[in-house]
Amino acid sequence: MNEIAYSIDHSPAYASLHLKLKANQSVLVESGAMAAMDTWIKMKSRVQGGLMKGIGRMLSGESLFVSEFTAEGKPGEVLVSPGVTGDIQHYYLNGNHLMVQSSGFVAASPTVAIDTQFQGFKGFFSGESLFLLKVTGTGDLWFSSFGAILEIPVSGEYVVDTGYVVAFEDTLNYKVEMLGGLSFRGLRTGILGGEGFVCRFSGSGKLWIQSRQLYPFINFLNPFRPTKSS
Amino acid sequence: MKVDILHRPDSAIAKIDMAPQEELVAEAGAMVAMSSHLDVNTTLRRGKGGGVFGGLKRMLAGESLFLSVFRSGTQPAEIYLAPKLMGDILPYQMTITDLVVQSTGYLASTPGVDVELGFQGLKSIFSGESIFWLTARGTGLVLLSAFGAVYEIEVDGEYIVDTGHIVAFEKTLNFSITKAGSSWIGAFLGGEGLVCKFQGKGRLFCQTHNPGAFGRLIGSQLPPR
Repeated sequence: MNEIAYSIDHSPAYASLHLKLKANQSVLVESGAMAAMDTWIKMKSRVQGGLMKGIGRMLSGESLFVSEFTAEGKPGEVLVSPGVTGDIQHYYLNGNHLMVQSSGFVAASPTVAIDTQFQGFKGFFSGESLFLLKVTGTGDLWFSSFGAILEIPVSGEYVVDTGYVVAFEDTLNYKVEMLGGLSFRGLRTGILGGEGFVCRFSGSGKLWIQSRQLYPFINFLNPFRPTKSS
Repeated sequence: MKVDILHRPDSAIAKIDMAPQEELVAEAGAMVAMSSHLDVNTTLRRGKGGGVFGGLKRMLAGESLFLSVFRSGTQPAEIYLAPKLMGDILPYQMTITDLVVQSTGYLASTPGVDVELGFQGLKSIFSGESIFWLTARGTGLVLLSAFGAVYEIEVDGEYIVDTGHIVAFEKTLNFSITKAGSSWIGAFLGGEGLVCKFQGKGRLFCQTHNPGAFGRLIGSQLPPR
């Protein structure tokens, strides 16, 4: 097997991914996420799966390019850090699919294909992402979160606030809905700052959630911005 | 009901396992994930602070207008709750002593606990941080959220805490707003401004970081609104 040796350090608050490549082994990394590496590692930008897919990735909030790092001739290390503080989770794909929240991609084996999938307006009101990445193939995948990642084995049905979904196996079906009990006399609490839109998962499979959301944090900071002087 | 706080102190998230026929009240928006059969109701009503007016008061307090009530029904259920900012969650067991909670510090409580807005008088206006405090009374569990880690101080006598670092304190403590230094000019130039002085005997819960100070530091670097 061509698995990549790795460790995830300083999780869950400041997780960073430590990849240990064998001689001539390659890895795909989110563009700009490389923090440090050995000098004999060669970096190559690439648009995975052709230009159109790359543009699709750009639309999904993910950078257009992923970088390919190769340990030329001898083993070497690459340290990868996601843009936001949080956790990293590893998943080994074995011919199956994994859906990952669009900003969650960190790194993957070159044998793994990353596709953006337009989710229709399914996820539109989450304020988070209209797009999910669909990852297929065989090999390693690492994805990240804001806050800690928790794994939930779903069997039957499970409800998650849309903003907290990180990734899930494609054996799970989902639909986005307004949770009835979260509205009050016709008032949608989702608009008034409560939860409202949730993903209802059904089936059997693994689901990963994050313990924080980026948007409420940004909303917290917003009132502290200076006001424009007229 | 079994409560586990995971990933403390920076990314704390509460996993609550509920037995059949149990109930949990949480700040609207605190729900991260849950069993699909949990019955959810979002309400303005809660204790004496219930009704529309209570809701408005809660909104003024920086607390969201709504509280969500989760009921397990006939089956056991699980639910995850998390605060908005990075930091810890503190479970506090209520018995006979009332607990005063800084308005953004409330996350959830069991049904035996009434949460209402407690106006602490004019003195709290001058604290510059938050005018409103919530008072929790009754018996049961309260989950509090903090910005940063939480530490507890057993006050016996007097103790001083910067207003931005208070999470909650037992009602057996009196507090007054005072200046940190000996002179008013020195208090402001020193950057400490106003502090809370506690008197009496009781438990006091503090957060390691001050959300207001953090917001001002980052906010001033952002483009104007």
